[in-house]
Amino acid sequence: MSRTPTLAELQTAVRNTVLGASSDALAGVIAGDGLGHAARLDVYRNNTTLLLREALAANFPVVSELVGEDFFAQLARAFLRGHPPSSPCLFEYGEAFPDFIASDPAAAELPYLPDVARLEWAWNEAFHAHNTPALTASALGTVAPEDYPHLVFAPHPALRMVSSPYPIYTIWALHQPDADPDATVDLAQGGETVMVTRPETNAQVCVTSTGAAIFTDRLRAGENLADAFAMAAEMDPAFDGGAVIAQLLTQGALATFDLV
Amino acid sequence: MRMASANSIAQSLDNPIPARAGIGLKAQHYAEIAERHPDAIGWLEIHSENYCGAGGPPQNWLHALREYYPVSMHGVGLSLGSAGPLDHKHLRRLYELAERIEPHLVSEHLSWSTANGDYLNDLIPLPYTEESLDVFCRHVDEMQDALKRRILIENPSAYMRYAHSPIPETEYLLAVCARTGCGILLDINNIYVSAHNLGLDAHAYIDAIPAHLVGEIHLGGHHDAEVDGGGILKIDNHGSRVRDDVWALYERAIARFGPKSTLIEWDSDVPELDVLLDEAGRANAILARHTPDGEIALYQDERTENARVPHTHLG
Repeated sequence: MSRTPTLAELQTAVRNTVLGASSDALAGVIAGDGLGHAARLDVYRNNTTLLLREALAANFPVVSELVGEDFFAQLARAFLRGHPPSSPCLFEYGEAFPDFIASDPAAAELPYLPDVARLEWAWNEAFHAHNTPALTASALGTVAPEDYPHLVFAPHPALRMVSSPYPIYTIWALHQPDADPDATVDLAQGGETVMVTRPETNAQVCVTSTGAAIFTDRLRAGENLADAFAMAAEMDPAFDGGAVIAQLLTQGALATFDLV
Repeated sequence: MRMASANSIAQSLDNPIPARAGIGLKAQHYAEIAERHPDAIGWLEIHSENYCGAGGPPQNWLHALREYYPVSMHGVGLSLGSAGPLDHKHLRRLYELAERIEPHLVSEHLSWSTANGDYLNDLIPLPYTEESLDVFCRHVDEMQDALKRRILIENPSAYMRYAHSPIPETEYLLAVCARTGCGILLDINNIYVSAHNLGLDAHAYIDAIPAHLVGEIHLGGHHDAEVDGGGILKIDNHGSRVRDDVWALYERAIARFGPKSTLIEWDSDVPELDVLLDEAGRANAILARHTPDGEIALYQDERTENARVPHTHLG
Protein backbone atom coordinates (compact mmCIF):
# COMPACT_ATOMS: atom_id res chain seq x y z
CA MET A 1 0.00 0.00 0.00
CA SER A 2 1.51 3.28 -1.09
CA ARG A 3 -0.10 5.46 1.59
CA THR A 4 -1.32 4.91 5.12
CA PRO A 5 -4.42 2.70 4.74
CA THR A 6 -7.70 3.49 6.41
CA LEU A 7 -8.74 1.16 9.24
CA ALA A 8 -11.18 -0.64 6.92
CA GLU A 9 -8.54 -1.12 4.20
CA LEU A 10 -6.01 -2.36 6.72
CA GLN A 11 -8.43 -4.86 8.27
CA THR A 12 -9.43 -6.19 4.86
CA ALA A 13 -5.76 -6.68 3.93
CA VAL A 14 -5.00 -8.47 7.23
CA ARG A 15 -8.13 -10.61 6.81
CA ASN A 16 -7.04 -11.64 3.32
CA THR A 17 -3.58 -12.60 4.57
CA VAL A 18 -4.93 -14.52 7.55
CA LEU A 19 -7.21 -16.45 5.17
CA GLY A 20 -4.34 -17.43 2.92
CA ALA A 21 -3.42 -14.53 0.62
CA SER A 22 0.15 -13.27 0.30
CA SER A 23 1.25 -10.72 2.89
CA ASP A 24 2.93 -8.55 0.22
CA ALA A 25 0.16 -5.95 0.41
CA LEU A 26 1.08 -5.35 4.06
CA ALA A 27 4.82 -4.78 3.55
CA GLY A 28 5.49 -1.33 4.96
CA VAL A 29 2.17 -1.32 6.84
CA ILE A 30 3.27 -3.87 9.46
CA ALA A 31 6.52 -2.91 11.17
CA GLY A 32 9.06 -5.70 10.76
CA ASP A 33 11.03 -4.81 13.90
CA GLY A 34 13.86 -7.18 13.00
CA LEU A 35 11.69 -10.23 12.20
CA GLY A 36 9.92 -9.11 9.02
CA HIS A 37 6.24 -8.46 8.51
CA ALA A 38 5.59 -11.87 6.90
CA ALA A 39 6.87 -13.82 9.93
CA ARG A 40 4.68 -11.73 12.23
CA LEU A 41 1.57 -12.15 10.10
CA ASP A 42 2.26 -15.90 9.95
CA VAL A 43 1.52 -16.05 13.69
CA TYR A 44 -1.97 -14.67 13.09
CA ARG A 45 -2.57 -16.92 10.08
CA ASN A 46 -1.45 -19.95 12.09
CA ASN A 47 -3.59 -19.00 15.10
CA THR A 48 -6.72 -18.60 12.99
CA THR A 49 -6.07 -21.81 11.07
CA LEU A 50 -5.36 -23.85 14.19
CA LEU A 51 -8.19 -22.47 16.32
CA LEU A 52 -10.84 -22.78 13.61
CA ARG A 53 -9.66 -26.31 12.83
CA GLU A 54 -10.02 -27.14 16.53
CA ALA A 55 -13.51 -25.62 16.51
CA LEU A 56 -14.48 -27.82 13.54
CA ALA A 57 -12.93 -30.89 15.17
CA ALA A 58 -14.95 -30.18 18.31
CA ASN A 59 -18.17 -30.03 16.26
CA PHE A 60 -17.24 -33.00 14.02
CA PRO A 61 -15.23 -35.35 16.27
CA VAL A 62 -16.19 -38.55 14.41
CA VAL A 63 -15.34 -37.10 10.99
CA SER A 64 -12.02 -35.98 12.44
CA GLU A 65 -11.31 -39.46 13.78
CA LEU A 66 -12.45 -41.20 10.58
CA VAL A 67 -10.09 -39.26 8.31
CA GLY A 68 -7.14 -38.82 10.68
CA GLU A 69 -5.39 -35.69 11.84
CA ASP A 70 -3.52 -34.78 8.64
CA PHE A 71 -6.42 -35.16 6.25
CA PHE A 72 -8.76 -33.37 8.65
CA ALA A 73 -6.29 -30.47 8.85
CA GLN A 74 -6.29 -30.29 5.04
CA LEU A 75 -10.11 -30.40 4.85
CA ALA A 76 -10.47 -27.83 7.62
CA ARG A 77 -7.99 -25.42 6.07
CA ALA A 78 -9.68 -25.54 2.68
CA PHE A 79 -13.09 -25.12 4.32
CA LEU A 80 -12.23 -22.23 6.62
CA ARG A 81 -10.56 -20.24 3.85
CA GLY A 82 -13.66 -20.46 1.68
CA HIS A 83 -16.19 -20.42 4.51
CA PRO A 84 -14.82 -18.44 7.47
CA PRO A 85 -17.28 -18.14 10.36
CA SER A 86 -19.78 -15.31 10.23
CA SER A 87 -20.57 -15.64 13.95
CA PRO A 88 -18.10 -15.52 16.85
CA CYS A 89 -20.02 -18.36 18.56
CA LEU A 90 -17.98 -21.25 17.25
CA PHE A 91 -20.31 -23.95 18.54
CA GLU A 92 -22.38 -22.97 15.52
CA TYR A 93 -19.48 -23.04 13.05
CA GLY A 94 -19.59 -25.72 10.36
CA GLU A 95 -23.18 -25.90 9.13
CA ALA A 96 -21.80 -25.87 5.56
CA PHE A 97 -19.04 -28.40 6.32
CA PRO A 98 -21.02 -31.56 5.34
CA ASP A 99 -21.82 -30.12 1.88
CA PHE A 100 -18.23 -28.95 1.53
CA ILE A 101 -16.98 -32.48 2.27
CA ALA A 102 -19.44 -33.83 -0.32
CA SER A 103 -18.04 -31.45 -2.94
CA ASP A 104 -14.36 -32.05 -2.15
CA PRO A 105 -12.79 -34.57 -4.57
CA ALA A 106 -10.20 -35.45 -1.92
CA ALA A 107 -12.97 -36.95 0.25
CA ALA A 108 -14.67 -38.87 -2.58
CA GLU A 109 -13.17 -42.17 -1.44
CA LEU A 110 -15.25 -41.94 1.74
CA PRO A 111 -18.78 -41.54 0.29
CA TYR A 112 -20.44 -41.91 3.73
CA LEU A 113 -18.43 -39.01 5.20
CA PRO A 114 -20.88 -36.17 4.32
CA ASP A 115 -23.79 -38.02 5.96
CA VAL A 116 -21.74 -38.79 9.07
CA ALA A 117 -20.96 -35.06 9.18
CA ARG A 118 -24.72 -34.31 8.83
CA LEU A 119 -25.39 -36.60 11.79
CA GLU A 120 -22.74 -34.79 13.85
CA TRP A 121 -24.19 -31.40 12.92
CA ALA A 122 -27.65 -32.65 13.97
CA TRP A 123 -26.15 -33.78 17.29
CA ASN A 124 -24.50 -30.38 17.74
CA GLU A 125 -27.75 -28.52 17.06
CA ALA A 126 -29.65 -30.80 19.42
CA PHE A 127 -27.03 -30.24 22.13
CA HIS A 128 -27.50 -26.44 22.04
CA ALA A 129 -31.26 -26.40 21.43
CA HIS A 130 -33.68 -24.58 23.73
CA ASN A 131 -34.51 -26.19 27.10
CA THR A 132 -38.12 -26.98 26.23
CA PRO A 133 -39.87 -29.67 28.33
CA ALA A 134 -40.61 -32.80 26.31
CA LEU A 135 -44.16 -34.08 25.85
CA THR A 136 -44.86 -37.09 28.09
CA ALA A 137 -47.01 -40.14 27.42
CA SER A 138 -49.15 -39.30 30.44
CA ALA A 139 -49.91 -35.81 29.10
CA LEU A 140 -51.01 -37.39 25.83
CA GLY A 141 -53.14 -39.86 27.80
CA THR A 142 -55.74 -37.14 28.36
CA VAL A 143 -56.74 -37.33 24.67
CA ALA A 144 -59.71 -39.57 23.81
CA PRO A 145 -58.86 -42.27 21.24
CA GLU A 146 -61.48 -41.01 18.78
CA ASP A 147 -59.63 -37.65 18.70
CA TYR A 148 -56.23 -39.18 17.77
CA PRO A 149 -56.59 -38.48 14.02
CA HIS A 150 -56.97 -34.75 14.82
CA LEU A 151 -53.77 -34.47 16.89
CA VAL A 152 -51.10 -32.05 15.74
CA PHE A 153 -47.69 -31.99 17.43
CA ALA A 154 -44.96 -29.40 17.84
CA PRO A 155 -41.64 -31.26 17.67
CA HIS A 156 -39.12 -30.59 20.45
CA PRO A 157 -36.55 -27.98 19.32
CA ALA A 158 -33.75 -30.56 19.69
CA LEU A 159 -35.32 -33.09 17.28
CA ARG A 160 -33.31 -33.80 14.11
CA MET A 161 -33.61 -36.64 11.59
CA VAL A 162 -30.84 -37.72 9.21
CA SER A 163 -31.33 -40.39 6.52
CA SER A 164 -28.49 -41.93 4.58
CA PRO A 165 -27.87 -44.76 2.08
CA TYR A 166 -24.95 -45.65 4.36
CA PRO A 167 -25.01 -47.16 7.89
CA ILE A 168 -24.25 -43.82 9.54
CA TYR A 169 -25.48 -44.80 13.00
CA THR A 170 -23.27 -47.88 13.05
CA ILE A 171 -20.26 -45.85 11.88
CA TRP A 172 -20.96 -43.08 14.39
CA ALA A 173 -21.47 -45.52 17.28
CA LEU A 174 -18.12 -47.20 16.56
CA HIS A 175 -16.40 -43.90 17.25
CA GLN A 176 -18.02 -43.16 20.60
CA PRO A 177 -15.97 -43.45 23.80
CA ASP A 178 -17.83 -46.57 24.99
CA ALA A 179 -17.55 -48.44 21.65
CA ASP A 180 -16.10 -51.93 21.34
CA PRO A 181 -12.64 -51.30 19.82
CA ASP A 182 -12.79 -54.60 17.89
CA ALA A 183 -16.18 -54.00 16.26
CA THR A 184 -16.33 -53.35 12.52
CA VAL A 185 -18.93 -52.04 10.09
CA ASP A 186 -20.04 -53.56 6.79
CA LEU A 187 -20.83 -50.73 4.39
CA ALA A 188 -22.94 -53.17 2.34
CA GLN A 189 -25.40 -53.56 5.24
CA GLY A 190 -27.49 -50.72 3.80
CA GLY A 191 -28.63 -47.29 4.87
CA GLU A 192 -29.81 -46.02 8.25
CA THR A 193 -32.08 -43.22 9.41
CA VAL A 194 -31.23 -41.68 12.77
CA MET A 195 -33.19 -39.58 15.20
CA VAL A 196 -31.28 -37.09 17.36
CA THR A 197 -32.94 -35.71 20.48
CA ARG A 198 -32.02 -34.41 23.91
CA PRO A 199 -34.32 -36.30 26.25
CA GLU A 200 -32.47 -35.52 29.48
CA THR A 201 -29.13 -33.88 29.99
CA ASN A 202 -27.36 -34.80 26.78
CA ALA A 203 -28.04 -35.26 23.08
CA GLN A 204 -28.84 -38.85 22.05
CA VAL A 205 -28.79 -40.67 18.73
CA CYS A 206 -30.96 -43.68 17.91
CA VAL A 207 -31.90 -45.60 14.80
CA THR A 208 -35.35 -45.10 13.43
CA SER A 209 -37.20 -45.81 10.17
CA THR A 210 -37.51 -43.76 6.99
CA GLY A 211 -41.25 -43.72 7.70
CA ALA A 212 -40.57 -42.04 11.05
CA ALA A 213 -38.49 -39.37 9.30
CA ILE A 214 -41.29 -38.71 6.78
CA PHE A 215 -43.87 -38.73 9.56
CA THR A 216 -41.99 -36.12 11.66
CA ASP A 217 -41.44 -33.98 8.56
CA ARG A 218 -45.22 -33.96 8.03
CA LEU A 219 -45.83 -33.14 11.71
CA ARG A 220 -43.38 -30.24 11.43
CA ALA A 221 -45.35 -29.01 8.43
CA GLY A 222 -48.43 -28.88 10.69
CA GLU A 223 -50.30 -31.92 9.35
CA ASN A 224 -52.52 -33.86 11.72
CA LEU A 225 -51.80 -37.39 12.84
CA ALA A 226 -54.10 -39.04 10.29
CA ASP A 227 -52.56 -37.26 7.29
CA ALA A 228 -48.97 -37.70 8.53
CA PHE A 229 -49.62 -41.42 9.16
CA ALA A 230 -51.06 -41.87 5.68
CA MET A 231 -48.10 -40.19 3.98
CA ALA A 232 -45.53 -42.17 6.00
CA ALA A 233 -47.33 -45.48 5.31
CA GLU A 234 -47.42 -44.72 1.59
CA MET A 235 -43.70 -43.97 1.42
CA ASP A 236 -42.58 -46.72 3.85
CA PRO A 237 -44.68 -49.92 3.65
CA ALA A 238 -43.18 -51.13 6.95
CA PHE A 239 -44.28 -47.98 8.81
CA ASP A 240 -45.68 -48.79 12.26
CA GLY A 241 -47.38 -45.64 13.53
CA GLY A 242 -47.90 -46.83 17.11
CA ALA A 243 -44.25 -47.83 17.48
CA VAL A 244 -43.06 -44.52 16.02
CA ILE A 245 -45.23 -42.47 18.39
CA ALA A 246 -43.91 -44.53 21.31
CA GLN A 247 -40.31 -43.96 20.18
CA LEU A 248 -40.88 -40.21 19.71
CA LEU A 249 -42.30 -39.95 23.26
CA THR A 250 -39.53 -42.07 24.81
CA GLN A 251 -36.85 -40.00 23.10
CA GLY A 252 -38.40 -36.68 24.06
CA ALA A 253 -38.89 -35.76 20.40
CA LEU A 254 -42.17 -33.89 20.82
CA ALA A 255 -42.94 -30.75 22.80
CA THR A 256 -46.67 -30.03 22.72
CA PHE A 257 -49.86 -31.21 21.09
CA ASP A 258 -53.11 -29.68 20.02
CA LEU A 259 -56.38 -30.91 18.51
CA VAL A 260 -57.57 -29.48 15.20
CA MET B 1 -10.78 -4.18 51.39
CA ARG B 2 -13.80 -4.58 53.63
CA MET B 3 -15.95 -7.64 53.49
CA ALA B 4 -18.94 -6.64 51.42
CA SER B 5 -22.56 -7.61 51.84
CA ALA B 6 -24.43 -9.19 48.97
CA ASN B 7 -26.24 -5.96 48.23
CA SER B 8 -23.17 -3.79 48.15
CA ILE B 9 -21.53 -6.24 45.75
CA ALA B 10 -24.54 -6.07 43.48
CA GLN B 11 -24.49 -2.30 43.45
CA SER B 12 -20.80 -1.56 43.43
CA LEU B 13 -19.12 -0.91 40.13
CA ASP B 14 -15.71 -0.40 41.65
CA ASN B 15 -15.28 -3.82 43.21
CA PRO B 16 -18.02 -6.09 41.95
CA ILE B 17 -16.12 -9.36 42.36
CA PRO B 18 -13.88 -10.50 45.23
CA ALA B 19 -10.22 -9.49 45.05
CA ARG B 20 -9.22 -13.14 44.97
CA ALA B 21 -8.23 -15.65 42.35
CA GLY B 22 -10.78 -17.03 39.90
CA ILE B 23 -10.40 -19.51 37.07
CA GLY B 24 -11.70 -19.78 33.54
CA LEU B 25 -14.62 -22.24 33.43
CA LYS B 26 -13.99 -25.23 31.14
CA ALA B 27 -16.50 -27.94 30.20
CA GLN B 28 -14.22 -30.72 31.46
CA HIS B 29 -14.34 -29.20 34.97
CA TYR B 30 -18.10 -28.55 35.29
CA ALA B 31 -18.96 -31.64 37.33
CA GLU B 32 -15.90 -31.49 39.59
CA ILE B 33 -16.39 -27.82 40.47
CA ALA B 34 -20.08 -28.45 41.18
CA GLU B 35 -19.16 -31.32 43.49
CA ARG B 36 -16.18 -29.78 45.31
CA HIS B 37 -16.91 -26.04 45.33
CA PRO B 38 -13.18 -25.44 45.81
CA ASP B 39 -12.26 -22.63 48.16
CA ALA B 40 -9.15 -21.66 46.20
CA ILE B 41 -11.39 -19.94 43.66
CA GLY B 42 -13.56 -16.97 44.57
CA TRP B 43 -15.27 -16.63 41.17
CA LEU B 44 -15.48 -18.04 37.65
CA GLU B 45 -14.98 -16.50 34.25
CA ILE B 46 -16.66 -17.70 31.08
CA HIS B 47 -15.99 -17.00 27.44
CA SER B 48 -19.39 -15.47 26.71
CA GLU B 49 -19.48 -16.89 23.17
CA ASN B 50 -19.56 -20.46 24.51
CA TYR B 51 -22.82 -19.78 26.36
CA CYS B 52 -24.82 -18.04 23.65
CA GLY B 53 -26.74 -21.16 22.62
CA ALA B 54 -30.49 -21.39 23.07
CA GLY B 55 -30.09 -23.99 25.84
CA GLY B 56 -28.52 -27.33 26.64
CA PRO B 57 -25.81 -28.59 28.99
CA PRO B 58 -23.47 -25.55 28.86
CA GLN B 59 -26.30 -23.25 29.97
CA ASN B 60 -27.48 -25.72 32.60
CA TRP B 61 -24.03 -26.15 34.16
CA LEU B 62 -23.43 -22.42 34.16
CA HIS B 63 -26.70 -21.81 35.99
CA ALA B 64 -25.88 -24.50 38.55
CA LEU B 65 -22.37 -23.10 39.20
CA ARG B 66 -23.70 -19.55 39.31
CA GLU B 67 -25.44 -20.59 42.53
CA TYR B 68 -22.03 -20.85 44.20
CA TYR B 69 -19.75 -18.41 42.45
CA PRO B 70 -19.79 -14.89 41.09
CA VAL B 71 -19.33 -15.00 37.31
CA SER B 72 -17.42 -12.75 34.95
CA MET B 73 -18.54 -12.67 31.30
CA HIS B 74 -15.44 -12.32 29.16
CA GLY B 75 -16.19 -11.74 25.48
CA VAL B 76 -13.78 -12.76 22.76
CA GLY B 77 -15.91 -12.15 19.70
CA LEU B 78 -17.66 -8.78 19.51
CA SER B 79 -14.69 -7.20 17.69
CA LEU B 80 -14.99 -3.70 19.15
CA GLY B 81 -12.08 -2.55 16.98
CA SER B 82 -13.67 -3.39 13.62
CA ALA B 83 -14.07 -0.53 11.16
CA GLY B 84 -17.44 -2.02 10.19
CA PRO B 85 -20.56 -2.02 12.38
CA LEU B 86 -20.89 -4.21 15.47
CA ASP B 87 -22.67 -7.55 15.06
CA HIS B 88 -26.02 -6.56 16.56
CA LYS B 89 -27.32 -10.10 16.65
CA HIS B 90 -24.33 -11.05 18.79
CA LEU B 91 -24.72 -8.00 21.00
CA ARG B 92 -28.33 -9.03 21.56
CA ARG B 93 -27.22 -12.53 22.58
CA LEU B 94 -24.69 -11.07 25.03
CA TYR B 95 -27.45 -8.95 26.53
CA GLU B 96 -29.69 -12.01 26.89
CA LEU B 97 -26.88 -14.03 28.48
CA ALA B 98 -26.23 -11.20 30.95
CA GLU B 99 -29.94 -11.10 31.78
CA ARG B 100 -29.90 -14.82 32.50
CA ILE B 101 -26.74 -15.12 34.61
CA GLU B 102 -26.43 -11.64 36.15
CA PRO B 103 -22.64 -11.47 35.83
CA HIS B 104 -20.53 -9.46 38.24
CA LEU B 105 -18.20 -8.29 35.48
CA VAL B 106 -18.38 -8.01 31.70
CA SER B 107 -15.27 -7.52 29.59
CA GLU B 108 -14.01 -7.36 25.99
CA HIS B 109 -10.72 -6.70 24.22
CA LEU B 110 -8.75 -3.82 22.79
CA SER B 111 -8.48 -5.56 19.42
CA TRP B 112 -10.48 -6.63 16.38
CA SER B 113 -11.49 -10.07 15.05
CA THR B 114 -13.99 -9.46 12.25
CA ALA B 115 -13.47 -7.91 8.81
CA ASN B 116 -15.89 -7.95 5.88
CA GLY B 117 -18.26 -10.05 8.01
CA ASP B 118 -15.71 -12.83 8.54
CA TYR B 119 -14.83 -13.74 12.11
CA LEU B 120 -11.13 -14.66 12.28
CA ASN B 121 -11.17 -16.07 15.82
CA ASP B 122 -8.10 -14.16 16.93
CA LEU B 123 -7.55 -10.94 18.85
CA ILE B 124 -5.71 -8.81 16.32
CA PRO B 125 -4.13 -5.54 17.44
CA LEU B 126 -5.34 -2.15 16.23
CA PRO B 127 -3.27 0.65 14.81
CA TYR B 128 -3.39 3.26 17.56
CA THR B 129 -4.63 6.26 15.58
CA GLU B 130 -7.27 8.94 16.10
CA GLU B 131 -9.39 7.18 13.46
CA SER B 132 -9.39 3.82 15.26
CA LEU B 133 -9.84 5.50 18.66
CA ASP B 134 -13.09 7.08 17.45
CA VAL B 135 -14.32 3.73 16.11
CA PHE B 136 -13.31 1.84 19.24
CA CYS B 137 -14.89 4.32 21.66
CA ARG B 138 -18.12 4.38 19.64
CA HIS B 139 -18.31 0.59 19.86
CA VAL B 140 -17.55 0.54 23.61
CA ASP B 141 -20.35 3.07 24.09
CA GLU B 142 -22.66 0.87 22.03
CA MET B 143 -21.80 -2.22 24.08
CA GLN B 144 -22.19 -0.43 27.41
CA ASP B 145 -25.52 1.05 26.30
CA ALA B 146 -26.79 -2.33 25.09
CA LEU B 147 -25.77 -4.16 28.28
CA LYS B 148 -26.70 -1.20 30.49
CA ARG B 149 -23.46 -1.50 32.44
CA ARG B 150 -19.84 -0.53 32.59
CA ILE B 151 -17.46 -2.94 30.91
CA LEU B 152 -13.75 -3.62 31.25
CA ILE B 153 -11.41 -3.54 28.26
CA GLU B 154 -8.41 -5.90 28.15
CA ASN B 155 -5.00 -4.93 26.82
CA PRO B 156 -4.02 -7.27 23.96
CA SER B 157 -1.02 -9.49 23.40
CA ALA B 158 0.61 -8.59 20.11
CA TYR B 159 3.00 -10.19 17.66
CA MET B 160 3.14 -7.18 15.37
CA ARG B 161 2.66 -3.44 15.39
CA TYR B 162 1.70 -1.13 12.57
CA ALA B 163 4.15 1.29 10.97
CA HIS B 164 1.55 4.04 11.48
CA SER B 165 0.41 3.77 15.09
CA PRO B 166 1.41 7.03 16.71
CA ILE B 167 -0.42 6.74 20.07
CA PRO B 168 1.27 4.61 22.78
CA GLU B 169 -0.99 1.71 23.86
CA THR B 170 -1.33 2.85 27.48
CA GLU B 171 -2.24 6.37 26.38
CA TYR B 172 -4.82 4.92 23.96
CA LEU B 173 -6.32 2.65 26.64
CA LEU B 174 -6.60 5.56 29.09
CA ALA B 175 -8.26 7.67 26.39
CA VAL B 176 -10.83 4.91 25.85
CA CYS B 177 -11.53 4.86 29.61
CA ALA B 178 -11.80 8.64 29.77
CA ARG B 179 -14.17 8.90 26.80
CA THR B 180 -16.43 5.92 27.56
CA GLY B 181 -16.22 5.45 31.33
CA CYS B 182 -15.11 1.83 30.92
CA GLY B 183 -12.49 0.20 33.15
CA ILE B 184 -9.43 -1.94 32.41
CA LEU B 185 -8.90 -5.67 32.54
CA LEU B 186 -5.13 -5.74 32.80
CA ASP B 187 -3.56 -8.91 31.43
CA ILE B 188 -0.09 -9.18 32.95
CA ASN B 189 0.95 -12.01 30.64
CA ASN B 190 -0.09 -9.93 27.64
CA ILE B 191 2.03 -7.03 28.84
CA TYR B 192 4.97 -9.40 29.22
CA VAL B 193 4.41 -11.03 25.81
CA SER B 194 3.90 -7.75 23.94
CA ALA B 195 6.88 -6.14 25.68
CA HIS B 196 9.09 -8.96 24.44
CA ASN B 197 7.61 -9.12 20.94
CA LEU B 198 7.52 -5.38 20.30
CA GLY B 199 10.43 -4.20 22.44
CA LEU B 200 8.34 -2.30 25.02
CA ASP B 201 9.01 -1.70 28.72
CA ALA B 202 6.63 -3.84 30.83
CA HIS B 203 7.31 -1.93 34.06
CA ALA B 204 6.62 1.40 32.42
CA TYR B 205 3.36 -0.03 31.04
CA ILE B 206 2.12 -1.01 34.51
CA ASP B 207 3.29 2.29 35.99
CA ALA B 208 1.22 4.18 33.40
CA ILE B 209 -2.06 2.55 34.53
CA PRO B 210 -3.96 4.21 37.41
CA ALA B 211 -5.03 1.67 40.05
CA HIS B 212 -8.64 2.86 40.22
CA LEU B 213 -9.28 1.92 36.58
CA VAL B 214 -8.20 -1.72 37.01
CA GLY B 215 -11.23 -3.93 37.64
CA GLU B 216 -9.63 -7.30 36.98
CA ILE B 217 -6.29 -8.92 36.24
CA HIS B 218 -5.52 -11.85 33.93
CA LEU B 219 -2.66 -14.32 34.27
CA GLY B 220 -1.94 -17.08 31.77
CA GLY B 221 0.80 -19.11 30.18
CA HIS B 222 2.68 -18.44 26.95
CA HIS B 223 5.26 -20.27 24.90
CA ASP B 224 8.29 -19.29 22.86
CA ALA B 225 8.09 -19.86 19.11
CA GLU B 226 11.08 -19.62 16.82
CA VAL B 227 10.16 -17.80 13.62
CA ASP B 228 11.79 -17.70 10.19
CA GLY B 229 15.08 -15.90 10.56
CA GLY B 230 15.76 -17.31 14.03
CA GLY B 231 14.02 -14.74 16.23
CA ILE B 232 11.73 -15.69 19.10
CA LEU B 233 8.14 -14.55 19.40
CA LYS B 234 6.33 -15.18 22.67
CA ILE B 235 2.91 -16.65 21.89
CA ASP B 236 0.06 -16.06 24.32
CA ASN B 237 -1.61 -19.49 24.07
CA HIS B 238 -2.94 -19.97 27.63
CA GLY B 239 -1.69 -23.54 27.46
CA SER B 240 0.69 -23.81 30.41
CA ARG B 241 1.45 -22.54 33.91
CA VAL B 242 2.13 -18.85 34.44
CA ARG B 243 5.85 -18.21 33.93
CA ASP B 244 7.98 -17.05 36.89
CA ASP B 245 8.80 -13.76 35.16
CA VAL B 246 5.08 -13.09 34.78
CA TRP B 247 4.44 -13.91 38.46
CA ALA B 248 7.14 -11.38 39.36
CA LEU B 249 5.51 -8.77 37.13
CA TYR B 250 2.13 -9.61 38.72
CA GLU B 251 3.48 -9.10 42.23
CA ARG B 252 4.88 -5.76 41.14
CA ALA B 253 1.47 -4.83 39.71
CA ILE B 254 -0.41 -5.86 42.87
CA ALA B 255 2.07 -3.92 45.01
CA ARG B 256 1.18 -0.88 42.89
CA PHE B 257 -2.60 -1.42 42.46
CA GLY B 258 -3.50 -3.20 45.70
CA PRO B 259 -5.44 -6.49 45.61
CA LYS B 260 -7.44 -7.06 42.43
CA SER B 261 -9.63 -9.94 41.24
CA THR B 262 -7.20 -12.18 39.36
CA LEU B 263 -8.05 -14.78 36.75
CA ILE B 264 -6.00 -17.86 35.91
CA GLU B 265 -6.58 -18.42 32.17
CA TRP B 266 -5.96 -21.83 30.63
CA ASP B 267 -7.61 -22.45 27.26
CA SER B 268 -5.53 -25.03 25.37
CA ASP B 269 -4.26 -28.40 26.68
CA VAL B 270 -6.51 -27.78 29.67
CA PRO B 271 -5.12 -29.71 32.69
CA GLU B 272 -6.87 -31.25 35.67
CA LEU B 273 -8.76 -28.86 37.91
CA ASP B 274 -6.16 -29.22 40.69
CA VAL B 275 -3.50 -27.64 38.49
CA LEU B 276 -5.69 -24.56 38.01
CA LEU B 277 -6.45 -24.50 41.75
CA ASP B 278 -2.73 -24.63 42.45
CA GLU B 279 -2.14 -21.60 40.21
CA ALA B 280 -5.12 -19.86 41.85
CA GLY B 281 -3.56 -20.57 45.25
CA ARG B 282 -0.33 -18.96 44.13
CA ALA B 283 -2.21 -15.82 43.07
CA ASN B 284 -4.12 -15.80 46.38
CA ALA B 285 -0.85 -15.96 48.29
CA ILE B 286 0.43 -12.88 46.47
CA LEU B 287 -2.88 -11.08 47.00
CA ALA B 288 -2.74 -11.95 50.71
CA ARG B 289 0.75 -10.47 51.01
CA HIS B 290 -0.68 -7.15 49.82
CA THR B 291 -3.91 -7.29 51.85
CA PRO B 292 -4.33 -6.26 55.50
CA ASP B 293 -4.28 -9.34 57.80
CA GLY B 294 -6.88 -12.02 57.47
CA GLU B 295 -9.33 -10.46 55.08
CA ILE B 296 -8.78 -12.89 52.25
CA ALA B 297 -9.40 -15.83 54.59
CA LEU B 298 -12.52 -14.15 55.98
CA TYR B 299 -13.91 -13.65 52.50
CA GLN B 300 -13.24 -17.26 51.67
CA ASP B 301 -15.12 -18.54 54.73
CA GLU B 302 -18.13 -16.37 54.07
CA ARG B 303 -18.13 -16.82 50.34
CA THR B 304 -21.28 -18.73 49.70
CA GLU B 305 -23.30 -16.33 51.83
CA ASN B 306 -21.76 -13.11 50.73
CA ALA B 307 -20.10 -13.34 47.40
CA ARG B 308 -23.08 -13.64 45.16
CA VAL B 309 -26.06 -11.61 44.20
CA PRO B 310 -29.44 -13.10 45.16
CA HIS B 311 -30.49 -14.89 42.04
CA THR B 312 -34.21 -15.34 42.14
CA HIS B 313 -35.05 -16.85 38.78
CA LEU B 314 -32.89 -19.90 39.39
CA GLY B 315 -35.34 -20.88 42.13
